[in-house]
Amino acid sequence: MSGPRIIWTIPTRGDGKTARGWAPAPALPGFLTDGRVGGPAFTPFDYLHQISRAAELGGLAGVYTPYDPHGEESLVVTGSLGRDSRYLEVVAGFPAGIATPVYAAKLSATLQRAFGGRLSWRLEVDLDERVQRAQGDFVTGPDRYARAAEFLTVAKAVWHGRDVDFTGRFYEVVRGGFEGPLAGLPFPTVYLSGTSDEAFALSAEHADVHVFDLAPDLDAHLARLDPRVRPALQASVHTREDEVELRGPAGLRGTYQQVADRILAYADRGVDTFFLSAEPRLEEALRIAQHVRPLLAGRA
Amino acid sequence: MSIDIWWRIGMAGDPGSLRTAHRQSRGDWAPAGPDSITPGLRGGEPDGYGLLDYLVETAKAAEGLGFHGGLLPSFAGTDDPWAVAAALARETKTYKFMIAFQPGFLNPVQAARMTASLHRASAGRVAYNIITGGGGPPQLWWGDKVAHDDRYARTSEFLDVLRGVWDGGPFDFDGRFYRVEGAGLPGPLAGLPFPEVFFSGSSPAAIAAAGRHADNYLSWLEPFDALRAKFDAVRAHSAAPRFAVRVDVLARPTAEEAWGEIERGWRHVRPEAVRAQLSRDGGDSFGVRRAVGFQPESFTGYRDFEVEPNVFAGLALMRPGPAFGLVGSYEQVAERLDGLIDLGVESFILAGGPHLEEAYHVAEGVLPLLRGRPGERAPAESVTLSA
Repeated sequence: MSGPRIIWTIPTRGDGKTARGWAPAPALPGFLTDGRVGGPAFTPFDYLHQISRAAELGGLAGVYTPYDPHGEESLVVTGSLGRDSRYLEVVAGFPAGIATPVYAAKLSATLQRAFGGRLSWRLEVDLDERVQRAQGDFVTGPDRYARAAEFLTVAKAVWHGRDVDFTGRFYEVVRGGFEGPLAGLPFPTVYLSGTSDEAFALSAEHADVHVFDLAPDLDAHLARLDPRVRPALQASVHTREDEVELRGPAGLRGTYQQVADRILAYADRGVDTFFLSAEPRLEEALRIAQHVRPLLAGRA
Repeated sequence: MSIDIWWRIGMAGDPGSLRTAHRQSRGDWAPAGPDSITPGLRGGEPDGYGLLDYLVETAKAAEGLGFHGGLLPSFAGTDDPWAVAAALARETKTYKFMIAFQPGFLNPVQAARMTASLHRASAGRVAYNIITGGGGPPQLWWGDKVAHDDRYARTSEFLDVLRGVWDGGPFDFDGRFYRVEGAGLPGPLAGLPFPEVFFSGSSPAAIAAAGRHADNYLSWLEPFDALRAKFDAVRAHSAAPRFAVRVDVLARPTAEEAWGEIERGWRHVRPEAVRAQLSRDGGDSFGVRRAVGFQPESFTGYRDFEVEPNVFAGLALMRPGPAFGLVGSYEQVAERLDGLIDLGVESFILAGGPHLEEAYHVAEGVLPLLRGRPGERAPAESVTLSA
């Protein structure tokens, strides 16, 4: 194996103190020539692409655009970033409520064609219910896991089959299924998360990978995971060359060597994928690529 | 008068930081290792990316931050700026290409044609950094045997021919170095806006030639009194010169953080290299000899190379390139740049390694604090960029 895989998180609502990639770029003082004025339009996506290209050129495994109802739309961001890379796994976060499973699969088949099969789904199940209602989604409680299971069942069925008939509690399909170039593509890698009984049951049935938060009771959670499903870890990371430079948020924090050692220790416990984030996303992606990734290479 | 801020690009790659400036880990000018980027290693194999992919990332960062464009340097150990500009033209939107070149290496009619085609590819984004040569072995590496002061005469002729053919000709010229008959750019290539010229050179011959040909007289950063005297010498040869300086910048939120970067990078500098640097003669480059003259006569540590506030003379010991740079907090570096504006500087070519991340430090940290010329200081306008 080539070592632990790092998937870098794309900001959906701005990065750093100037909210790069979200707010309009700050103008230069008036007496300086602003090279941007009068030229072709710059868009906030230019910066999102800077981050994903840093991840791509820096040898990271992927980029993840979380679902954020108050931020940039994750499937559109994914579509843009995936096309601008050759190697990155591009992970789109979204909940089942955004579309019918057939439509989500249809849209994803086109993305899969555009990327040559590098798309992944990170299905969000236990969102804040107020947030869900504001998005027109009134399925609540454990029903959300039942719906997610049906969503994935239907999406996989129409992706792989023809003349698909399905009648469930949430979805109904008659003679569904993709044809032509939309058929025969690899189904997106499915990432799920959560530590409830329902979450583990859903993962056992449908997940390729289950994402855990950085928590002291990780071993207890790992023990409950279906052995077919690979574990992943999600954390903010704060790393510097020297300990004296380390200030700031908790999470995966330490020198380059300390962070690498912690990642390798998790890898020894079977965790092969790490969803990481740090601000500013561009500079920190390059820092991880340049200083931490070499300490992981060829291990695990 | 508006002030232009350019951001250099690393044509032989970049280090991961100034702390590791002894190793170019970005771009394919150094052997690929586990920490390499462009190419990176995936599964132990090069990933197919190269320096150009890193340059695209850097140029896109610079233009997105509002820089005017970038200097594309040219040395024996770099990729070629004409070729890189051609590739970047299609990958960028507003980034202007200040192409460094030595007139002696290129036929002036060909230079005119290349420029016009690049202008067409990029909607007029080409500028020139004309270098007449540091001399010594590097000059002969290129196969150029013309002596120092003669090279300035050749540069003058080169630009006479280039301007002569620019609008279509027919143009005849019979000089010491060049001869053409009935020359001129063809059809749509003719008559485009002539590139802005940045002219380098610290010797009396260079300053005399600059007076005739340069839109901008470009100097490396030097101690401020020396720069003032140099600019006065240029003014004596030119009616209304514009001044540009090429400045390495290491700026951080606090001075302690900035000098901390120098301190860590300095750990890789060997004392014998410092002594060699202090005795270096610089070949027949007047500028290098000047820079050596400004360095301290003795040293005990990197702070001895801070020859005046925030002006650090030790950069050439840490990475290839000019000796001088500004080191300090965002506020301090902005004050020094304002001091250069007070000396008459209207264009800056700023640089820092790695050029990608440092572009953000400078654009977000330093540029918003600039105040401009005293009589023209005004609060920043709000320019709405398309969202």
